[in-house]
Amino acid sequence: MSLRPRLAERAKERAAGEEASVSRFSDQLIAALPRLRRFARGLTGSTVEADDLVQAACERALARRHQFEEGTRFDSWMFRTVQTIWIDQIRARTVRKEESETGEARLGSDEAVRRVEARLALGEVRRAVDRLPPDQRAALLLVTVEGLSYREAAEVAQVPVGTIMSRLARARLALQAQLDAGAGVDRSKRDVEAQ
Amino acid sequence: MSRHSDDRLVAYLDGEVETAERREIEAWLDGDPVARDRLAALSRSAMLLREAYDEVVREPVPERLIAAARGAAPARVVAFGGRRAAMLGARRRWRVALPLAASLFGLLAGGGAAYLGVGKGLALGPGGTMAPAAIEAAAANNLWLDNAAGYFKLVVAGGDNALIDVPASGDSHEALQRISQSLTQQVRLPDLKPWGLNFRGARLVVVDGRPAAQLVYTTENKAIGPIALIVGSSKQPDIAPSFDRRQGVNMIYWRHQGRAYVLVGEADVGYLWGIGNDVAWQLDAI
Repeated sequence: MSLRPRLAERAKERAAGEEASVSRFSDQLIAALPRLRRFARGLTGSTVEADDLVQAACERALARRHQFEEGTRFDSWMFRTVQTIWIDQIRARTVRKEESETGEARLGSDEAVRRVEARLALGEVRRAVDRLPPDQRAALLLVTVEGLSYREAAEVAQVPVGTIMSRLARARLALQAQLDAGAGVDRSKRDVEAQ
Repeated sequence: MSRHSDDRLVAYLDGEVETAERREIEAWLDGDPVARDRLAALSRSAMLLREAYDEVVREPVPERLIAAARGAAPARVVAFGGRRAAMLGARRRWRVALPLAASLFGLLAGGGAAYLGVGKGLALGPGGTMAPAAIEAAAANNLWLDNAAGYFKLVVAGGDNALIDVPASGDSHEALQRISQSLTQQVRLPDLKPWGLNFRGARLVVVDGRPAAQLVYTTENKAIGPIALIVGSSKQPDIAPSFDRRQGVNMIYWRHQGRAYVLVGEADVGYLWGIGNDVAWQLDAI
């Protein structure tokens, strides 16, 4: 085989390898989407904004996929991407977002009253999260909702573990205070699930 | 109570304190009812917080996000993968993990005729072996899903008398052990009790041209109806979880590391996604 066909063959193999690698990366990304959406929903307080944020994060992640280190946690890497874009967005934005559309706003009118009541209690929790400062909100979502350890959350936020610990404690106490001040937090989600 | 002590309680609740400090905090909690109440309140608010966002991982993912993740035009595949999120902190609920050995085909020849009328193109030869052409045909995705739908309808049509090779009466562990003798792979039984579904029994079927186990779950809730999970082996490449509807039934199907999964039911799609999510988590299938 002459040099030219050999080079062409190698280029083809490289292209096929690259394609397989992108495909594997996309598979990981797709598997992470539900959690990324949840994290983004908590950060933004809005379904549409959250999905816009996740979409932007997917696009950035694909463009920078070579920066992902194999063997490290993919979800943490994506949480960091989401959080970074979100922080950029809120820095660029001067107007606070409109009232969250999460919670009861999405409810259909034909749902049972008990379901609505249960959702209102959870909507209250989401509104309390919306009122937290951004860094505390992110720490709270990463650790308490997404189950990251303090160390992992610190890596996502790129701050020391002590900072995460302190943000988290402040967030938890603020959330607790808001829920204590509100009503109806005793209603259980079991009602929702019992539909 | 000081800020410092609240910080310690939060870290304690998150399992982020060293053994010595944990003991210290536990001793403090033993003697301080106010601190205990505080801990209980923090724990409850953490639970509410998780519940408040839990439904997001159960929602079907919008197509535009799948497309963005693929770096391509919108596809009709809808994926889930929030099993770890949805179940974070929950323990795995393995009921059974069994090594399986022999061949299914001998068993099919003995008692499998009922299955074969269901899948299009799945014909047995005179000697009870499958014709290669039939296997090849069954490997096609359409047939795979049609077969799965057909097997499910057989369960529904049979009602309480549905054909079940291995009933779950008594020990479901034993049921799986018996069916496992006819397969060449591990079959594990997801616990779907949290979804109100009880394991009714298992059947041997042929999906994707290969032997597979159909695990049947039933419930008294007619709005959900029976659910079947088919777990088989496959040499085809992995595919992301996808939704399809065949013969009037909903199905979530995916392939992962040489295994093919189809969850079939008449239940609402969102509900089925939730169950699929849980199954994938339990079977470590994504």
